[in-house]
Amino acid sequence: MSRRQGPNYAELEAGNYEDEFVSSGDSSVTDYSDYEAEKKKSRAKGKKAKQAVRKIKKQKDDKEFSEDELITINLDRPPDFVPDTVSNLFGRADFTYLKLKPDHASRPIWISPTDGKIILESFSPLSEQAQDFLVTIAEPISRPSFIHEYRITTHSLYAAVSVGLETDDIISVLNRLSKVPVAPSVVNFIKSATLSYGKVKLVLKHNRYFVESSQAEILQMLLKDEVIGALRIQSETTTTTSDGLVQTKAPSQGDLVIPGTKKPDGTYVNAEPAKTDDVEDIFANVIGEGDDDDDDLDTVHSFEISAGSVETVKKRCQEIDYPMLEEYDFRNDTRNPNLDIDLKPSTQIRPYQEKSLSKMFGNGRARSGIIVLPCGAGKTLVGITAACTIRKSVIVLCTSSVSVMQWRQQFLQWCTIQPENVAVFTSESKEMFSGDAGLVVSTYSMVANTRNRSHDAQKVMDFLTSREWGFIILDEVHVVPAAMFRRVVTTIAAHAKLGLTATLVREDEKISDLNFLIGPKLYEANWMELAQKGHIANVQCAEVWCPMTSEFYQEYLREKSRKRMLLYIMNPTKFQACQFLIHYHENRGDKIIVFSDNVYALQEYALKLGKPFIYGSTPQQERMNILQNFQYNDQVNTIFLSKVGDTSIDLPEATCLIQISSHYGSRRQEAQRLGRILRAKRRNDEGFNAFFYSLVSKDTQEMYYSTKRQAFLVDQGYAFKVITHLHGMENLPNLAYSTSKERRELLQEILLKNEDAAGIEYGEDSENLVGGGVDKRARFNASRTVGSLASLAGGEDMAYVEHSKNRNKELHHPFFQKTLYNKKKK
Amino acid sequence: MAGQAHLFKSTVNEYLESLSETVHSKLYKSPATCLAIFRLLPSLSKFYVMTLLFNEDSTSYANLNRWLKVPPTSSKAHPHITPTKLYQNECLKRLKALNLIKDVRKTVTHPTTGKSTTVVLFQLNPIFRASFRDAVTGGGSASAFGDASDRVESKRDDLQTMFSDNVTIDYLDSYSLMKWENILHFMVGTELLSSPSVGVLSLLRHSGLMELEADREAKTEAKTESSSTMTQYSLNTLKNMKITNEGFQFLLQDINSQIWTLLLEYLKMSEKLMMDPVEVLNFIFMLGSLELGKGYPTAMLSDTQIIMLEDLVDYGLIYYPKPVEPESVSMDVDEGPEGETLEQNERDDVVANRLFYPTRLATTLTSDSMTFKSASTAMTQATAEADSGSGKDMGNVILETNFKLYCYTTSPLQVAILNLFVHLKSRFSNMVTGAITRESIRKALTNGITAEQIIKYLESHAHSQMKKLAEERLVKKLDFENSTNSASDAADTVLEVLPPTVVDQIKLWQLELDRIQTFQGYLFKDFVNDQEFELLSTYGEEVGILLWKDVQSRRFFVTQEGNKQLIDYAARALRRQKQNGERAATPL
Repeated sequence: MSRRQGPNYAELEAGNYEDEFVSSGDSSVTDYSDYEAEKKKSRAKGKKAKQAVRKIKKQKDDKEFSEDELITINLDRPPDFVPDTVSNLFGRADFTYLKLKPDHASRPIWISPTDGKIILESFSPLSEQAQDFLVTIAEPISRPSFIHEYRITTHSLYAAVSVGLETDDIISVLNRLSKVPVAPSVVNFIKSATLSYGKVKLVLKHNRYFVESSQAEILQMLLKDEVIGALRIQSETTTTTSDGLVQTKAPSQGDLVIPGTKKPDGTYVNAEPAKTDDVEDIFANVIGEGDDDDDDLDTVHSFEISAGSVETVKKRCQEIDYPMLEEYDFRNDTRNPNLDIDLKPSTQIRPYQEKSLSKMFGNGRARSGIIVLPCGAGKTLVGITAACTIRKSVIVLCTSSVSVMQWRQQFLQWCTIQPENVAVFTSESKEMFSGDAGLVVSTYSMVANTRNRSHDAQKVMDFLTSREWGFIILDEVHVVPAAMFRRVVTTIAAHAKLGLTATLVREDEKISDLNFLIGPKLYEANWMELAQKGHIANVQCAEVWCPMTSEFYQEYLREKSRKRMLLYIMNPTKFQACQFLIHYHENRGDKIIVFSDNVYALQEYALKLGKPFIYGSTPQQERMNILQNFQYNDQVNTIFLSKVGDTSIDLPEATCLIQISSHYGSRRQEAQRLGRILRAKRRNDEGFNAFFYSLVSKDTQEMYYSTKRQAFLVDQGYAFKVITHLHGMENLPNLAYSTSKERRELLQEILLKNEDAAGIEYGEDSENLVGGGVDKRARFNASRTVGSLASLAGGEDMAYVEHSKNRNKELHHPFFQKTLYNKKKK
Repeated sequence: MAGQAHLFKSTVNEYLESLSETVHSKLYKSPATCLAIFRLLPSLSKFYVMTLLFNEDSTSYANLNRWLKVPPTSSKAHPHITPTKLYQNECLKRLKALNLIKDVRKTVTHPTTGKSTTVVLFQLNPIFRASFRDAVTGGGSASAFGDASDRVESKRDDLQTMFSDNVTIDYLDSYSLMKWENILHFMVGTELLSSPSVGVLSLLRHSGLMELEADREAKTEAKTESSSTMTQYSLNTLKNMKITNEGFQFLLQDINSQIWTLLLEYLKMSEKLMMDPVEVLNFIFMLGSLELGKGYPTAMLSDTQIIMLEDLVDYGLIYYPKPVEPESVSMDVDEGPEGETLEQNERDDVVANRLFYPTRLATTLTSDSMTFKSASTAMTQATAEADSGSGKDMGNVILETNFKLYCYTTSPLQVAILNLFVHLKSRFSNMVTGAITRESIRKALTNGITAEQIIKYLESHAHSQMKKLAEERLVKKLDFENSTNSASDAADTVLEVLPPTVVDQIKLWQLELDRIQTFQGYLFKDFVNDQEFELLSTYGEEVGILLWKDVQSRRFFVTQEGNKQLIDYAARALRRQKQNGERAATPL
């Protein structure tokens, strides 16, 4: 059935399955929350509407149709469906007409006919296998304790096909798992989506490019295409069949063993142990028939194209809806020298890491794609193991120079690569490796930079772009803008691409770009399952509601939106709650990170509480110093971080996290921040819990954003407990802003602040924890505020007071401190 | 569930206790009633009654204690308030309140001293004793427990076979459930093809289980106005009624309690309609002792009871086939048990002597056995024998930490109940999905359902998987606490079946609604000058009657009670001002 030919494809095009599904999928994605962007949208809306009216008028006339001309919409309900008393509550979503199979109790899923939603009972005995299967063919929507939801989308099916699943397999496994018969609409959707996707592969073999497919018909069709047909090259060395195609055996995992997955006794047995968790096997288990009896599947057909025309062919295939999958047959690549790299014998990889890698190397070749694992679940090790499997030159790109150093260090720790073969390309270090093959670690901004480079940097870039890379690892793919990605992917020629991330969600819709720039999502881990097995820490999440003090709320209602933000962040009750929580957790022996997007608030809080802090313009040396103190000095138990600390900072000591201000409704940021405590060192202590507090000011916009932000984590099964009152907060000694005078002073101070103070950090640097200093010129902008003479003279509670000393300075060694200050005095 | 059943039984008892002695005496003439009342008694009271039943003499109170073996009490300080003693007193009090035992004063002469003293003895109410003896021994009139039709019909074999064919117990069960669920469906606001009768609807309204928009307004305006509740509305008006807080509570009870609640309301209403409560009660209690699946002739009923019979049909307590007009005798015999064909062969005399069939709802009224646990379980039992796993225990709702709700149900009624506070999304043959949202909870709260009721409902219907997980967690927690010896609050060790975050959130949503307080009072505005405003508003503040003021627009608001005080003050102040002004104006 999946082997339809050209003409049938055109028929499907005419059908409207696809449109319906895409639109329903999109509407769920557009829960956009950045209200800045929303404003822009609404402005554009008016213009758009007018255009639309004009367009519609041009295209369609309002002719009257007779009764029999009108098309009756098929609701997919059988005509004999009798709605009962409560059917109208569900509208179209009443699927009671789907009769249960007699043995439905032993089957774990329901499939909704209209939107491809799958509901899974996670307590069913079949559930583990079903989850493995569903995560391959569908996007997980929510995975809490009992019932999981998935949705079949075109992207997810694309991913399923690219790991080698066939249309018929997908449908038959679904049918086996489902309590109700799979509705024809779902079957049609799967067919239409998988018919064209993933059927054509671009394979680099013996340094020649082949267009490969298991179905000769598709290749025939491609050859008839005027663009592709002309680019085919005939060669004498391969024997061709009568139809002009090369027939070879289908690739199989064969003797490829992913390092780290071999049996404990160390012998390279056959490929079986590595394959046990393979998707195909799971389906075989479910289906009950091991080997496919279809001989046709075991051979593949291909034709060759020249290296120069690869881009053109890829583009053309995309246009005619047969996007090509890229596979790298690294074992047969003799042109690129091998890299001497292997995992150290002591290195063990975890089952889920193995599972994700088996998706990547399922047929003995390397597929490009994205692997999604929670923060702290060992994404780095997955990347390293993949590199050790391919054993060619590797380039790793990450977001900041701190993570560059972390990647380098991890490579040396886990595998046998020689330090001289590891090169680092950052603004500080620009050496390259000397051998034939090696490893380069760099940042996106270094590689994608379009401005003038220094001589050294240019030399390195030339080196990078001139060679062919076997493998590129793209760390934290979710943060990188698509434009930058495109530049990176096009400038560096790599055969296989692996994207790593914890949160494949963005408030804009740029996620789908990644599908085409890197490849489909190969694997997505279940957070709750990893937490239960102790791979990541158990986290208690709480949302602390801090009522606005009446003075602050009055101003809040009066002010404009930007200033409002400052008011709810600086809410004295919130400050008190923060102070109380720090006090409480420090006494428990926790290490605490406090996050604030707002730099002004960050400074105010940190200075008042006497804690060190890091933000965009903290110098590199000071940052390192603070982080080291936090890790090893038991006098420093709390640090304040701005947005720079959101991603890729590795602080296993941290066990408690307090968030005082955040970026609107960004689900990604919330998950990334949570990730900071997931790798807590003490996670395997019995009864250990990490704590995640989000402080929100009651009755403000923050409440709304807070709910939005939590959506991702809540769907992963995390529960946010609402705390409305912190017991004993009033009795805390030295509680800040406990008198109304103090609060009024704070309010006056805030009202005098420039609107800019309410903003969050901007610029590239804000993404990097360690990126060096900031352009000094930008810092000297005068602020002009309106105030009465009385207030400037000290009336209205305003006074110049040095509240607190910067704790950052105290972290210096006394000796250096002295010299530092002496220098400043001069 | 048992607790709730007990709760409602006690209200039946309360009602019975509130009746006067004369009514009691009339009631006790019916053996069926005596048996029913006996069944409703606590077990010790039953024991007392049984002991006294065949004892013609009166007994002394001292004997009572001798019949019981009191376990040795641990606390010697207050031996007279042990739980056993309390229970004993309670049982005795109940018997007295029902006038089942009567005190008899007897003068006893001391055999040696010759002094005569009055001793208080007691004995069983003689009317009750006689009737109850009949009930127990099967003596007395044969039709005391209703006359099963087969006794009458033994002569008419043809009819008899017909009944057994058509009115099966299965049919009666489905019939009564259909009727009863129709009422419940109406309460939860499901759109129905046929709504319950006016009688049912007005009973629902009188009992406060449902209310009209107008009732709600009336209630908020003046709580004392009770006469308005007696106004009669047409069927169409009544159809717009909304469920109340009490109504939701009602839905959560088991079916037996539900019926009792409605029957008691019916009793109250019947008194207003000048129906004899004795006959009503007798009939209700008699129904409880009838046999399921048997037809009973109406001939033995009084006029009141015939009226009642018609009413009870609406509740599904009784199946009462419609009589066929003698002239419309058609020959479609196998039309089914809808009733039309049943009496075709009957003569006119039989029409007067029609049969009625008590349903299971009626026959289990006074029994302890929970034949129907709830309407929905009964439905599941009836429809899905195959689905034995989920059908047996009540738990079928899964609530997740992400506020999504999944309910394994085939019952439209349960779906409709869920719809009261859940945003339902999709429905499969054996499951519905939905989510608890702020809006859905608010909708429920504005309908008068409380957060506690919702939580209670979810808790009692929680799926066994949820209970299992909660138990595992608790055990783990206790183990951990034992190992670390950390002290824990008693509150922490409660089994949390539902995700605590969701429970908290539902409660918080309720609190959200409570944030707005309303005060009745008066607004003062349009002041001539600041001075005047200042004067009055500060006075209001000092006296403590000022609720709100706005200096800029010169307005303030005082409480209803304080209004007069302020006006008096204002009048005084103005007068004083005027005087001062005059004084100032007059030249010396």
